[in-house]
Amino acid sequence: MSRIVIGAGIRGSHVVVDRVEGKVNAAIEKYGVDKAVGLPNTAYYLPTIYGITGIKVETLGDMPAIIKKCRELLAEVPAEDCWLPYLGPGLDSGMATAFAFDLEEALKYLEDPCPYLASKEDPEETDPDIWLGAADDIILRKRGVEFVDGSAPGFAAIVGAAKDVETAIKIAKELQEKSIYVFMASHSPNGVSFAQQLVEGGVQIGWNTRLVPFGYDHSAAIHAIGFAVKAALTFGGKTPGDHVNVLKYIKNRIFAFILALDEVVDEQYAAACGAINFAVPVIADTDFPEVLPTGVCTYEHVVTNIPQEEIVTKGIEVRGLKITVSKIDIPVSYGPAFEGERIKKDAMHVELGGPKSMGFEFAYSKPLDEVEDGKFTVVGPDMKDVEAGGLLPIGIWIELAGRKFQEDFEPILERQCHHLLNGAEGVLHIGQRDIVWMRVSKKAFDAGFTLKNFGTILHAKMHNEFGAIVDKVQVTIYTEEEKVKELLEVARKTWVQRDNRLADMIDETTDTFYSCTLCQSFAPTHVCVVTPERPGLCGAYNWLDCRASYEINPHGPNQPIEKGDTIDERLGKWKGVDEFVVPASGNAFESFAAYSIMEDPMTSCGCFEAIGACLFAANAIMVVDRDYTGETPCGMPFSTLAGTVGGGLQTPGFVGISKFYVGSKKFISAEGGIKRLAWLPKALKEASKEMIDKRGEEIGIPNFYDMIATEENGCTEEEVMAFMTEVGHPALEMDPLM
Amino acid sequence: MAFAAVSEKYSGKMREMEVGAGDKKVLVGGQASMPFCSFDGDLGNKPIIAMEVYDVVDPEWPAAVVDPFKDVINDPVAWAKKNVEDYGAKMICLQLLGTDPNGENRDADYAADLTKKVAEAISVPLMVWGSGNVEKDGEVLAKICETCAGMNLLIGPAVEENYKKIAATALGYGHCVVSQSPIDVNMAKQMNILIGNLGLPLEKIIMEPSTGALGYGVEYTYSVMERISLAALSQNDEKMQCPMINDMGKECWKSREVKLTDVEEPAFGPDMEKRGVLWEAMTAIDMLLSGSNLLIMRNPHAVKLTEEIIDELM
Ligand code: SF4
Repeated sequence: MSRIVIGAGIRGSHVVVDRVEGKVNAAIEKYGVDKAVGLPNTAYYLPTIYGITGIKVETLGDMPAIIKKCRELLAEVPAEDCWLPYLGPGLDSGMATAFAFDLEEALKYLEDPCPYLASKEDPEETDPDIWLGAADDIILRKRGVEFVDGSAPGFAAIVGAAKDVETAIKIAKELQEKSIYVFMASHSPNGVSFAQQLVEGGVQIGWNTRLVPFGYDHSAAIHAIGFAVKAALTFGGKTPGDHVNVLKYIKNRIFAFILALDEVVDEQYAAACGAINFAVPVIADTDFPEVLPTGVCTYEHVVTNIPQEEIVTKGIEVRGLKITVSKIDIPVSYGPAFEGERIKKDAMHVELGGPKSMGFEFAYSKPLDEVEDGKFTVVGPDMKDVEAGGLLPIGIWIELAGRKFQEDFEPILERQCHHLLNGAEGVLHIGQRDIVWMRVSKKAFDAGFTLKNFGTILHAKMHNEFGAIVDKVQVTIYTEEEKVKELLEVARKTWVQRDNRLADMIDETTDTFYSCTLCQSFAPTHVCVVTPERPGLCGAYNWLDCRASYEINPHGPNQPIEKGDTIDERLGKWKGVDEFVVPASGNAFESFAAYSIMEDPMTSCGCFEAIGACLFAANAIMVVDRDYTGETPCGMPFSTLAGTVGGGLQTPGFVGISKFYVGSKKFISAEGGIKRLAWLPKALKEASKEMIDKRGEEIGIPNFYDMIATEENGCTEEEVMAFMTEVGHPALEMDPLM
Repeated sequence: MAFAAVSEKYSGKMREMEVGAGDKKVLVGGQASMPFCSFDGDLGNKPIIAMEVYDVVDPEWPAAVVDPFKDVINDPVAWAKKNVEDYGAKMICLQLLGTDPNGENRDADYAADLTKKVAEAISVPLMVWGSGNVEKDGEVLAKICETCAGMNLLIGPAVEENYKKIAATALGYGHCVVSQSPIDVNMAKQMNILIGNLGLPLEKIIMEPSTGALGYGVEYTYSVMERISLAALSQNDEKMQCPMINDMGKECWKSREVKLTDVEEPAFGPDMEKRGVLWEAMTAIDMLLSGSNLLIMRNPHAVKLTEEIIDELM
């Protein structure tokens, strides 16, 4: 398969090295070995050679040694029937090509006149030609900074030529819109170059438009690699010759890919083999065998037969390049300041969904090639089609794709709609899933806001905030009643599946838990250990949230904890957890029990939704939430209790919890679980009815709900005990708490 | 029974940061113990005080911080020189208040030009401080990095919204960066990690935890800094081992207590200068006691007083 490519590459490498050797010898003959050579205005000599080998080529006399190195690297062309591994020799030959090109380009600067506009940022009309040659150190620093700070997500090296001028302009524009630099070199078999096509089309080229014409020859493509190498040396602080780290830096930080347009010749195959060394994949429009296995590059190495119309998208995808959208292109302002904005009835142009209609939002993921990034469609009437004050149903249908995307992230991104859409001035969003209710103000409508802009916002924000997991975002807005109905049914089915998915997850079968240390800012020793069956005590972070947050920000407050060997199954103690907790709590604690209120309970910060407290006389526990301000059977109201247990302490007998945890099978299971629960504030009890009934069934006491006292039955331990006796509460029969 | 002094053992050590190039170079940080606890470990370099110079002076400033600079207050270059030559400043902090888009909105070229002039006029290292407008600071500080390539200035503050641009240009042109976080230990650490991830070595980062003056949240700053110090020293958390800086002069001199006259508040007494100087020096001492390595201060007497105390303590 890819033996054909590598074979052609190796063949091409031989041709290149032979040719350059001839040129070097001729130059030495003409100028002598002491003649100085180099690229203009640089401290990095011939950068590719210098970065990889550490050798400084300063004079013509230094060149033959490099040719010798090339020869050592060159592999034999594999025989037709050879099925030995070919990638290694191919890569080495590619590197030889890169070195040879570096020499060949340096020799150009000895020519008179020099074919390049040395140290110029843009070619001007008065210049004899358009080619700029190597980027000098000033340009490198100025532009390299953009690669470091992310304002330039990467570069595309375009070799060959587009099928026509229009396509060339289209490709260039598409890359420009994404702030990707376009490095242009080489030409097609019939002598046309991409840069010349752009000039013909009246497009301004040069560093300032990010469309950089390096040179007409194939060898000029080395300036793209040279740029990347110089960035590794300058910004990465890598040592010349430390090729492993130089290459690693380029792979991890300089996101580059090659678009090979039109037919590819041997010499270009050779260059492609060189590029793969630098983790630069090649995407071609012509049809030849692909080199798919990953390894050197982040994903595939050579991908072919991609129509020119789709080649940019494919390049971005194959290189794993992250797009950020610097400005949300909508006619109204956007920012957190508008999140709390209300839109009154008479100020609104249209109401979408809500109690008088139907509204939902749904995000799900699909394979990469089935999602078209940045495509926004409105199906049905738009804002302009309704009278002011009108009403429409709405279905926001979000299709996501990403190399690192996991199904579990779907609900997390879906939940973002609320906060993301609310950020637009003149847009109000309430609810989620199938209770979405939106309004768009007259002012926003007058400013030119359309429903399509929901897509613009979601696309931009999801790329920017969730770029680590999202590569493509496509949004369709449905406002036709029939269609909304139909799709809502589809969404509902998925929601049921999603709910079951987390419900089905149990701690025993999960190897990785997550920490949350967000609250350490005010409770320095506090650590939440979040397991599938025990959400963070604030109720805001469940296991899936923590995992997604870790994927999105690996340095954030949510870190994976390999739970390791079990120390005590009943208490919920694991070796990995304890090992994590010690340093994470600043050496304050040695051990955490996930399921116990008595023995090493988890710490409580301050934002717990509720507090569990032991009622020792009753041999039971009570739970009180933040909203209940009255007295409780443990003798303290919530506020006093919170002061006692909070602040990042372990307080046996008390524990801060999320309300949801009460319905978990692991709810203080070490002490017997929900069976111990004897008192809840009435409002909390009612809100948790479904959960408690379900647990009641599971523990074989279907009427357990009725056995839980509330403030109506009493707020002292004696009253609770009397109630327990009356209803025959199971806790009375259980082992003593202490 | 003989008395045995208790001594804390620390496994970690703060990094030492070099600011300035050539013979202007100074070292900041490097301590292996809590502040002034010389019995516990090496105290590292003496804390340094950088004296402020403004491109634009707020007319609200009290006399105590106008009078010492009266003759130079409209000429930042001369002011910087005066701070060094007359008041013995060991570092200068150029505050680019005039670049604030909500104020005079001076442009990046102006700021870069001024910075270069100040840097060249003084014999001590220079720190440059943006106006606090995140977007504009990114633009202005990046330009300064470029114009002053290789001078190893200290540039800041870089915050979550603009650190990429500032740190990337600082990296490209060889400068140090102030990473500022909103009174939050986690964020302080995260900022160091984020900036470090861009490729800037941690040796080139100093942390500003957001500074509150005496009476204006000094205790928050104190406890955050103390916790950073402890994380760095006892937990040997290398992401926390960057030295610390406090941008405190401006916080002190805008406080109500410093500006009130004795007519408005008779109990405060008539000596406004003394009151202001003590306010600033007290804030400085608090910061030093919680682990600060570099202070940005305004009044020469307050600077002198603080330096005397530092000398006494180490
Ligand atoms: S309470 Fe919530 S936010 Fe705080 S540490 Fe726990 S999970 Fe994180």
